[in-house]
Order: sequence, then structure tokens, then C-alpha cells
Amino acid sequence: MSIVSQSPYVDMKALKKGEVNLGTSIMAIKFKDGVILGADSRTSMGAMVANRVTDKLTKVHDNIWCCRSGSAADTQAVSEYVRLYLDQYKINYGREPTPKTAAALFRKLCYENKNVLTAGIICAGFDEKTGGEIYSIPIGGSVHKQDYAIAGSGSSYIYGLCNTHYKQEMSQDEAVEFVKMSLTQAIRWDGSSGGCIRMVILTKNGVERLLFTPQEYQLN
Amino acid sequence: MTSIGTGYDLSNSVFSPDGRVFQVEYAGKAVENGSTSIGIRCKDGIVLAVEKITVSKLLKLGANKRIQTVDKHVGVVYSGMNPDGRHIVTRSREEARHWRDQFREQMPIPTLAANVASYVQLYTVYNSVRPFGVNTIIGGVDDEGSHLYMIDPSGKSWGYRGAASGRGRQTVNNELEKLDFDKLTAAEAVKEAARILYVAHEDNKDKDFELEISWVTEANGRVHEFVPESLLAEAKIYAEEQLDADVEG
Amino acid sequence: MAGLSFDNYRRNKSLEASGVLPPKTTSTGTTIVGCKFNGGVILSADTRATAGMVVADKNCLKLHRLAPNIWCAGAGTASDNDKVTELESSQLEIHSQWTGRAPRVVTALTHLKQHLFKYQGHVGAYLIIAGVDVTGSHLFSLHAHGSTDVGPYLALGSGSMAALSVLESKWKEDLTKEEAMELCSEAIMAGVFNDLASGSNVDLCVIEKGKPSRLHRGYKQPNQRLQKQRNYNFDIGTTSYFEAGSEVFYISKQSDLETSAMEVDQVS
Repeated sequence: MSIVSQSPYVDMKALKKGEVNLGTSIMAIKFKDGVILGADSRTSMGAMVANRVTDKLTKVHDNIWCCRSGSAADTQAVSEYVRLYLDQYKINYGREPTPKTAAALFRKLCYENKNVLTAGIICAGFDEKTGGEIYSIPIGGSVHKQDYAIAGSGSSYIYGLCNTHYKQEMSQDEAVEFVKMSLTQAIRWDGSSGGCIRMVILTKNGVERLLFTPQEYQLN
Repeated sequence: MTSIGTGYDLSNSVFSPDGRVFQVEYAGKAVENGSTSIGIRCKDGIVLAVEKITVSKLLKLGANKRIQTVDKHVGVVYSGMNPDGRHIVTRSREEARHWRDQFREQMPIPTLAANVASYVQLYTVYNSVRPFGVNTIIGGVDDEGSHLYMIDPSGKSWGYRGAASGRGRQTVNNELEKLDFDKLTAAEAVKEAARILYVAHEDNKDKDFELEISWVTEANGRVHEFVPESLLAEAKIYAEEQLDADVEG
Repeated sequence: MAGLSFDNYRRNKSLEASGVLPPKTTSTGTTIVGCKFNGGVILSADTRATAGMVVADKNCLKLHRLAPNIWCAGAGTASDNDKVTELESSQLEIHSQWTGRAPRVVTALTHLKQHLFKYQGHVGAYLIIAGVDVTGSHLFSLHAHGSTDVGPYLALGSGSMAALSVLESKWKEDLTKEEAMELCSEAIMAGVFNDLASGSNVDLCVIEKGKPSRLHRGYKQPNQRLQKQRNYNFDIGTTSYFEAGSEVFYISKQSDLETSAMEVDQVS
């Protein structure tokens, strides 16, 4: 994630003078009891690390969270809107919104404002009925329902890794280990990802947050 | 209604001294003389039915449908002024479509009924419009179960197990009260609806009528559709048999 | 109408294209920091304002009061910082009169970020916002495009790397007020001495729970002009002259000094 904008698809002329195109590593996976969201913690501004302990895992409702990549300002604004809409949904209609509805709102904002936004979002939520759902909403505003999703510049390095090692119905410990291992590799090979690994675990028991410092996750 | 407007019945936006809005009550009169319609919320879904008086021999049978689909899982039937009813159906469809577009899910029926009722209510507070001359029965099945609502011209929306509106409503209500809604299956409810409409038609025997029955059930995948021809025919036979039995008994 | 006017945007663009140089903005090429301590939060800033390569102001104030309990430090375009903080402080005052409560830091933050996001980075305000409210003490940074960050210590501006080097190496948890003041001023001084666009003095503001906020203007003044070793005034009589004297003028009437009244025909 960067202050002005990021992702390999950005028009370089749209970036400010001196700004370098940098990125993020984010992912979300389904496991036996729910979903896990994971992210690195680096925010950059050109070649400078603007924040080394960023929280890119953002709550949009009690049981629905998102991973943000792209422009920090754009993704913060979009997720604030989605949070507002989901809160209104709960108040007006007296029922919990589903992760699918959250993804629909993200899609609506990202698609209808695609000309001005640089936002790549993974929306994930726990739902008693479905046991958890993951939607990827890349730049452009399409929606992809997946068992696991990876995004951000660092994700390019772990497509094969995740494809090979992801299993359905993992236990929570296995799932945490899988996310940690995948993001460790993304951070290792992507210069613009770094810092800590943050995770949010969504199950029927609620929300659990994890933090791994570089000392804790690095293999060497 | 005992009293008349005495000048207070010309405007929507004026109360009479005893706290009534006469235009809304007059709209109710339009409903009372409308064709009889029924909604039943049974064990595994909902059934909608309407008695269509054949006002002219030239009308084509089976055309001029009165029960309409609002969304895949919701149906509507109404008594009163048919053009007003169609307008409300159009509005209901817009509500359901907007919800789908926004949230990518089927609109919850209680919310749909509440929104349509709000719309109907708006037509009771402005001087430049008149209230709708219909009672609207909305029924369907969603994730929370089956729902049946009836909205009157004042914008009042109540949830029902069995709802009746139009000319034969009193007879129908008497019959509906005898039903055990917890045990009744949708297929049984179709037959009962037919029978009840036949009973209600007894007061109006000189006129021919058509029967229209639709349902939304768990078994048919929560889709609002007209009941199969075979079931409708079966229901008619059942209704006639019951009626004959009553007459003989 | 309130807000910014873009009436001359296209005209200015075509003037620029035809070679007319746009006016320079005064930038607070700056070092600002914020740091939490066990009883509240501290903001600190240098005092240099630049216009291109020129020091426009040697002792400008970059700490702004948004509310009695919420302050912010600004980097980026000086005018945008001044205006955006002035606007926000009046909004917060009105808001707190409506609600009858002291404003919250997140209220200021959210309002400012929505304003800056709306202008897509064209309002060049980069702020560190700090304050105490009913929910505790808070420290946020806010970039011109509308993104926000949270942290126990933060630095912004061209001297932020220098300041951060101090903060990263010396910050620890549960600082006392005095330790935090020392840490902040040291971080700013790192910017003052190592960043060309930062300089002059250190301003510092302490916001504490249950106490009035205190602004230390010129908390550190490491660049005072020293007494010159020699006096360069010329002695009287250094230049020779032939004659000295003076003349005295008398003003006879006050009206001679004023504009005379319009002449009109006298009617006797």
C-alpha cells in the first residue's frame, strides 16, 4: 500500500513526480471454522517507508473485514463507506448483512468510481449459514468468490506456492501457519512489502487478532 | 360509515374534526367492492388466489392475469382498482430490483412490505394526489421463512396467516379462521383457497368467474408461479364437491 | 459560496502553457513529530518556512490549535495548512457547542480526512493530529490525499527521516512527560540540523489529560544570533564635512496639512 497509489496497473503519468510504484501483500483464506485475513504492515511513499506497522485489515462490520491494497487514501475512504452502509443496513432492516452483501457494496463503489480509484480489496467474512466467504475485488471492480484470495504486488510471488499448498478444511493452526508461510515468502521476494504480519481470524466465536514481528516469522 | 364528509372529504391533507381523513376511507370503499382475493401462509409456503368476475363474454379466458410476480420469490394480488394495483406492483418490482442491485440478495419480504406501505402512505398526505384504491396482499418465502402481508389504502401493513380482501372478504375470513395454518400444506391450501372462493361466490352466483391461484413453496425452490394446471383443475373439482356437499348437507 | 473556487483553473492552465510561471507557494519544508507519553501526548515542530531556496520565515508557528484539547502540526503547503486548520477549528467549536461536549480527536481526524480526500491531494496539508478526549489520548497522522495512520510516535515532513531516526532509536514505552518532551525536541533538532528545508527553533505543545494544553513557543532555540565579536558602526567624524545646520519650519494652520475643501461660490 502506498500513500499516493500503487499496483502494477497504475498509469505512471497519474503518479506524482518522484513517486515510485510500490505495494502490499495481502490474502484471505477459508478454513474449517471460518476465515483468516492476513497482511504485511508496510506503507510506502515513494521510496520511503511511511509506516512500518500499518493495519491493512479493516473492520467493515462485526463479522466482515477487508484487506486493503492500492492507495491508502482510496481504500480507507471506500471501506469507511462500506462500513457506513453495513451499519445502516443493520439498523434499518434489523438483520446482519452477509459477506456477499459487503462484497456487493465494495463492488459498487469500486466499479462506479473506477476512473478515480486505485483500490484492490479482499472482502472476507464469517457467516453462520455459509461458514465464511471470501470475495476478491481487484482494480476495475469485478467480484470473484474464492476459497482463498491473494492480492497486492507481493502476491505475484506466491501464486504457485498458495496453489500448491492450500487445502480445504484446514484446522485453525494449519491455516494460520499457511497464511504466515505464504506472506513470509511474499514479503521476502517483494521489496515493497515488509514489516510485521497481521492476521484476523473470524469464526463463530468472534474475532481474534494475531501479530507476528519479523523476528517471529522470518525463517532465518 | 355513518357520517359523510360535509366538506372535509375534498382533501387528503385535511382532517375532519373527529380525526378522519375521508379520502382514505373512500379509497377503502373502492376496495370493498373489488374482486375477492385471498392469501394463505401455510406450513411450507404461501398461496395467493383471486376470483376474477367475467365482466364480458368477449374477454379471453386466461388472459388478463391478476396475480403478478414482484421478484423471483414474491407474488402480489390485490382487490380494488386494477390500474392502481398494477402501479403498486411496478413500484414493488423497483424496490426489489434496487435491493438486488445494491446488496446482491433477495429482498426480505417484511422490508419489501414496509417499503411498499411507506409508498402507499405518501399518497395519503398530499393534496395533489389521491390514495390508492386497492388492498395489496404480498406473499413470498425468503431466508427467514414464509411471509404474508396486506397493505390497505392508508398505508397500514399487517402480517397475516390468512388474509382476505374485496367483496367476499367476510365470508372468506369466516372460512379462513377454520383452517389450521401450522398443519396445512401448500397443496392443501390451494384446494382450500379454491373452495373458499367458491363459497364466497355463492353471494354473487349470477356472474361467471375465473380462478387464479399462485404459490411460493419450499418444494418449488421458493419461486412464485401459478400452480400447475392439474392442481388447479383438482382444486376446482374439490371446491365444487365440497360446495355440493354443503348444499346437500 | 464557501470552499475553494476553481473558476480560474482553465485560464491558469493556459497561461502556464504559454510560458507564464505560476506563483510559488510557501512550503513548510518541515520537520514535525508527535509522541504519546503516560499522561498525554506531545506535538513538536521546527519553525522554518521556505519559498523555493529562500527562507520565507525564520520563526513561523506550525502548531495549530484545533480545539483546547486537540492540536495539530502541519507540513506541506503553509497556506493550505493555515486554512484547513482554521476551518476545522471553527467547525469543531460549532460541533462542540451543538453537542455540549468537548470534541473528540477522531472527529477532527475524520472530518479533515474527508475534506482532504475530496480535494484529491490538491489541498497540500500533511498533518499530525494529537489530543486528549473522553476516550483517552490519541495520536494520528494525515496525508494530503486523505489517508491516516495511527502510532505511539509519528514524524512527517522533509525532515521526518532525520526525526524518525531519533524516535526509532530512543523511544520506549511509558515515557514520562519530561522524557517525551526531550525526545520530541531532540527529534526536531535532528531535522533542524540535517534537513535543509527545516531550521531555526523548536516549538512544542504538551496536551495532558485533565490539564490545559501548554504551547512552548521557542522551546529550544539552537540558532540564536550571537553577539558579533566586533561592532561595525563607524565612529562619528569618520567622514569629513564642511558645514552643519538645521532649519525650523512652522505650521501655521492645521488645515494646511489637510486636503482643502472644495471651493464653492459664496452666497452672502
